[in-house]
Amino acid sequence: MAQIAAALQNGTRRALTRADAFMDRLYGAPYNPLYHSGALVVALFLVVLVTGIYLLFFYHVGAPYASVAQLSDQVWLGRWIRGLHRYASDAAVVAALVHALRIFAHGRSWGPRTLAWVTGLLLLFVLLVCGWTGYVMVWDLQGQVLAQEGARLFDVLPIFSEPIGRAFVGERPLPGAFFFLNLFAHVALPIGLGLMVWVHVSRVARPGLLPPKRLLWGLVALLTVLAVVWPAPLALQADLFRLPGTGPFDVFYSFWLPLTRPISPGVVWAWFVAGGAFLVLVPLWTRPTPARRPAPSSVDERLCTGCEQCYLDCPYEAIAMVEREEPRPDGKPVARVNPDLCVSCGICAGSCAPMGVGPPGRTGRDQLAAMKAFVAARRPGPGDVVILACNRGAGGIATGERFANALVYPVSCAGSVHTSGIELLLRAGTGGVLVAACPPRDCWNREGPKWLEQRLYHEREAELRDRVERRRVAIAYAGAGRPDLVRDALVELRRTLSALDAATREAEIDVDRLCEPVPGEVA
Amino acid sequence: MKRATRRILGGVLAVTATAAVGALSRVPYAAEPSTYAVVRLAWRARGERVEECRRLTPAELERIPIHMRQAETCTGRILPYHLDARVDASPAVGEEVVPAGARRDRPLYVFRELTVTPGAHRLQVTFRISGTVARATPVHEQELDATPPALALDTVVTLASRDVLLVTYDGELRRLVVRRAVP
Repeated sequence: MAQIAAALQNGTRRALTRADAFMDRLYGAPYNPLYHSGALVVALFLVVLVTGIYLLFFYHVGAPYASVAQLSDQVWLGRWIRGLHRYASDAAVVAALVHALRIFAHGRSWGPRTLAWVTGLLLLFVLLVCGWTGYVMVWDLQGQVLAQEGARLFDVLPIFSEPIGRAFVGERPLPGAFFFLNLFAHVALPIGLGLMVWVHVSRVARPGLLPPKRLLWGLVALLTVLAVVWPAPLALQADLFRLPGTGPFDVFYSFWLPLTRPISPGVVWAWFVAGGAFLVLVPLWTRPTPARRPAPSSVDERLCTGCEQCYLDCPYEAIAMVEREEPRPDGKPVARVNPDLCVSCGICAGSCAPMGVGPPGRTGRDQLAAMKAFVAARRPGPGDVVILACNRGAGGIATGERFANALVYPVSCAGSVHTSGIELLLRAGTGGVLVAACPPRDCWNREGPKWLEQRLYHEREAELRDRVERRRVAIAYAGAGRPDLVRDALVELRRTLSALDAATREAEIDVDRLCEPVPGEVA
Repeated sequence: MKRATRRILGGVLAVTATAAVGALSRVPYAAEPSTYAVVRLAWRARGERVEECRRLTPAELERIPIHMRQAETCTGRILPYHLDARVDASPAVGEEVVPAGARRDRPLYVFRELTVTPGAHRLQVTFRISGTVARATPVHEQELDATPPALALDTVVTLASRDVLLVTYDGELRRLVVRRAVP
């Protein structure tokens, strides 16, 4: 099973890398919708919520189809708000699937992220159930088929005192209570969704719940235009005394009908349980073997000054500040890592000026030792540029030793790079250092590029010292499929370095020696 | 790729993706592709309830708290029925309908759909207490509400393509009736 999951994961990752690169080129990394898939689901959910409130005022449980038909006849508002409600729900399913695929492909579903994975699956399931109740509420052809098929499936479960399928045999008109229950579920489930989103992001600090404004409003505008130009269809009214014929069905919420209708409910449930178990157990299939599993960070309490920077920077709230067992004179607490929450991203290593925290082998001190060895082995000179390349993104260049004639030094995350390491490289005579990071909204570890930039250019704690020439340091943000961005940044850095070197050479000119003194002028 | 080209391609892709959402939101689907008609046998029947009573032994009474002791204990159940349906004299259904519930004391639910070709058909349905079950003492006060021991329907119906005809039990008339869409 793990092998199947690994093969699926690799295939999906390759496809996504290509798709990311393509979308990056079209929209630029900040507005690449694939990087914002999770935030887009939340944004679309809000659109659905707002439009749903409007629709609620016009819906009658006593005459469901007639009220929806009346809404569709409102040319100015009802029609396009209903369309926007529907299309935003559809787009939410697409965004949720893309989000789940990304998490799966990038192997971000195991360990402390398991809770987010499982709640994410639940969110997707509840979203689909929510759509199911919404379509039944309309009580058109699609609603009838969804209701009857749902009843067929649920009636094999021993949970109802009476078979619910009886409601749809035509023995008596469907009671308003049925539609009221549907309406209640359709309103209550989104409230549950909101709570589940909170649990979903509960293990991350500063979750990005909304996409950039341009992307958000661009999407809303597109869906609104679609709703106006191509209003949401309304099929014929449900008729329990006629076999349902051909009608417009929403693939996003009714995709399962052609799969389940020809087979018995027992087989459907067996498939559902098996498929659900496979998805829920993805964290188990995709986690590395214990030998390859990165160890969580730890704190060297002798070095910890209690500055709280690692606590502030940790993207997973895995670090807490606690009282010291032997209090210091200044009364400052000490950082403590919760290994159950730590994903071993190493961002704390980059945030700790005294280099007292980080995963084993990747603390600031370990980084310095490794970089010294690198300098001794590769001997970078003034004409060289060293690329500190994130081994998950950064144009996928971290696997090679050289890229575009620059030396490559792979790092687990650009955000984990300690600025002292950069200083060490420059002091050792390296011409320049390029840090190749992931795009900020696609960091495997969250927030790595953000903290890196702040440490290099905005004096965030563990900052690059003033004595380091910042013009010799640059950052390139590039996804795994964008080596061209790293190349462009490298060209730019080399141009800057050439200018700097030329200026340095000029500064070294001994003006007194080269210039003839002007006769009669007093020095 | 030039900036203008990127913008145009980006716009085209965004519009195409949006249109794809619209198109996939209305894919024609034939839920029932064939043109047959359906005879739906669906009803809920109380069935005949019987109780089997016996006197408790002194030892059994001893085990029960004083305030809950009753000399007699009764176990009630609904009798199973046999459903038989024929379309144009050909057997279509022949099955035992057992009461719902773990203790078999819930009503009887019938739900069967028979596909038939459009046109006229003779429909014969019988629903009677299963002969294989020994009769116990009927509970007289509930007998009036119970479904009669035997129900029968023999009729000729004409069905158009995709029509659904419902055969159900009418509790007021206490017989099987045919219902169909109001034209």
